[in-house]
Amino acid sequence: MTWSRKYTLVAGLGLIALTNAIALFGVVYNRSGAPEATLRLTQRELRTPYRWYGGRENSGLALSLVWRVLNERSPEIQIYGYVGTGGTPAWLDKAKMEALGFNTSAAAAPSDRSRMRYEKQLPREVLLVLELEGPAYQRSLELATQHLAREEAKRASSPGDKNLDSRVKNVREALEGEASRNSRLFVVDAGLELSALRAKYPDTSRHAIVHGQVRLVSFDTSSGGTGYISGLSIESINVPFALRDVFGGATLVVDFDQRNRVPFEATVAFGKRFEPWITAAAKK
Amino acid sequence: MNMSAYSRTEAQQRADEIGVFQSELDRLEHEGVLTLTEDQRRAVKEHQRGLLAQYSQAFDIDRDTQSRQLSIGMRVASFLGALALAASVFFLFYQFWGLFPETAQVGILLVAAFGSFGATFVIQARDSTGYFTKLAAMVAFACFVLNIAMLGQIFNITPSDKALLPWAAFALLLAYSCDLRLLLAAGILCLIAFVSARTGTWSGMYWLHFGERPENFFPAAIALFFVPQVLDHRRFQGFAAIYRVFGLVTLFLPMLILANWGQTSYLDFDRTLIQGFYQVLGFAGSAGAIWLGTKSHWPEVVNTGMTFFVIFLYTKFYDWWWEIMPKYLFFLVIGLSAVLLLVVFKRLRTVRYRGDGGASA
Repeated sequence: MTWSRKYTLVAGLGLIALTNAIALFGVVYNRSGAPEATLRLTQRELRTPYRWYGGRENSGLALSLVWRVLNERSPEIQIYGYVGTGGTPAWLDKAKMEALGFNTSAAAAPSDRSRMRYEKQLPREVLLVLELEGPAYQRSLELATQHLAREEAKRASSPGDKNLDSRVKNVREALEGEASRNSRLFVVDAGLELSALRAKYPDTSRHAIVHGQVRLVSFDTSSGGTGYISGLSIESINVPFALRDVFGGATLVVDFDQRNRVPFEATVAFGKRFEPWITAAAKK
Repeated sequence: MNMSAYSRTEAQQRADEIGVFQSELDRLEHEGVLTLTEDQRRAVKEHQRGLLAQYSQAFDIDRDTQSRQLSIGMRVASFLGALALAASVFFLFYQFWGLFPETAQVGILLVAAFGSFGATFVIQARDSTGYFTKLAAMVAFACFVLNIAMLGQIFNITPSDKALLPWAAFALLLAYSCDLRLLLAAGILCLIAFVSARTGTWSGMYWLHFGERPENFFPAAIALFFVPQVLDHRRFQGFAAIYRVFGLVTLFLPMLILANWGQTSYLDFDRTLIQGFYQVLGFAGSAGAIWLGTKSHWPEVVNTGMTFFVIFLYTKFYDWWWEIMPKYLFFLVIGLSAVLLLVVFKRLRTVRYRGDGGASA
C-alpha cells in the first residue's frame, strides 16, 4: 500500500468516525439534563403513519405528531378539516409575521410588483409553541358545541328537513370526535427567541417549543391570519425498541380516523435542541 | 521500463495510440514514405509489446476491438450493478432495523460504513479492471449515506443541509482514490445541493426550499466550472469534463426555468422583464460556452452549450409561433432552423481549421 492510499484510508475512516461522533454528540447534548418540555400524549396526538406500498418493508415504527391550529372564524373547517396538514391561525397576523422576519408591508400595496414581492417570500424556520389540552383545545371544544347548538336550532325551526337532520348528525359526530378522538395538541404561538417564549409559556408539561416552518399567505383567509404554519421540522417520532410492544398492533392497521386504535399514553420529552424522544409508554 | 500511466484510462489511451501508430507506420512503409531499419523496427516493437504487457497486467486494458466492446458491456453492467447494490443495502436495512435495539442499530450502521469503506480498498488492490471497485465504492457510499440518515431517524434529529457536506467529502474521497467518475458525480450532486441550500438560507428561507429560487444554484455552478482550472486533473481522466458539464447544467437549467417562470427569481422586476433577461442570458451564455469550448478544445462544453442553445431557441419558437402557426409550418421552421444551425457550425469548423494553420488548405 502506498503512502497516499494509506492516508486516503485513514481520511475516510476518520470522516466516518467524525461525522458519527458529531451526530451522536448532538443527540447526547439534546437529551442531557432536564428536558426542555415533557408532554404526556395519547393515541389522539401520536398516530401511525399510513404505510405506502414501499413502506411496508420498513420494520421500524415512527409515530406522527398530530398538531392543529385554532380557527375561530370558521368552526366548520375546524371540525371537518384535516389535522396536521398546516393551518392559518388568527394569531399569526401581520404583526406576528413581521416579528418573525417577513415583510408584510407590500400586501396592502396596490401594484402588481409589490404584490409579487410579498408573495415571493419563502418559508422561514421559527420556533413554534405546542400546547397540550390547554385553552386552545377548550375553545375548539366550545366552538364545536356552539356549532351543534346552532345547527339544532336551525333544524328546530324547519322540522322535517332531511338535509338539516343529516347535518345535525354530522356535526354531533364531529363534536364527539373533538371530545374523544381529535388531537388536543395546538400550535398557539411562534417566535424567534426561546427565552421569550418560555417566559410566556412557563408550564413545561403543557407547552413544548419546537422548530417549524411558517410562510405568508397570499389570499384572504377565513381566520384573518396572514401566516400559514406549513409543518414541524420533526413531524414523526421514532419508537424505541423497548417500547415497540405498546404500539405493536398499530403498525399493521391502516385506520384513517383511528377509531379502532388501542389507547395508549406516551411521555414525549423535548430536549435542548427541541428534538423529541419517547421516554415512556403504556397501554391504557 | 517506465509505464508513464497512472490510471486504466491513461493506459488504455496509450494502448490505443500504439495501435494507431502501428497502422500508420505500416501504411507509410507500404507507400514508401518511411522505412525503418530492422533494428529500429525491433526496438519499437519490443518497447510497445513491453508496455502493452505491463498495462494489461496492471490495468486489464482492452487490446482489440472485441475486448473493447465487451468492456462497454461490463461498464454498463457495473454502473447498473452499483446502483442496484446501493439500493439493496438501503432496503435491506429498512427491512430489519426495527428488530434490533437502538445500540445494535447504531452498531450495524457503523460496521456497515467502516466495513464497506475498508472492503473497497481491499477490492481495489486486487481488481485491475476497476469494475468491482466501482461496485464496492458505491455500496460504501450508500452505507455512509444510510448511516447518517438513519441516525437522524433513530434519534429524531432535525433535518439539516450540513449532512450533505460529509456525504460529498466521502464520495469525492472515493472518486479520487479509486478513479471513479460515478462517485465524482454523486459527490458533485451533494456539493451542488449543499452550496445551493446555503445560498438560499442567506435570504432567511428554510433550507429545504432552496429549489424554489433557481438563482441559488448559480454560485455552485460557477465554482464547479472553474474547479478544473484551479486543480490539476490530468491524472484523473474525464474528471475535468464532468466538473464542467455539471457546472454548465447547473447554470443553464435554472436559467431555462427563469426564462419561462420569472416569478421564481430573486430579482425585483416585472416578471416579463426577468424572463427576457434570462432568455438573453441563456442565449449569450450557451453561445459563449460553444465559443469557449471550441477555443479551449473542450468538446463536452461545446456539446452542452449547443444542447442548451437549441433548447433556448426552440422554447422561444414555441412561445412565439405554436399558437399562431399551422403545425406543418411550425415544424418546417424548426427543421429549417436546424439546417441553418448545421450551416453555421460547418462554417465555424472551416474557420477553425484555417485558424489552426491551414489544415484544410
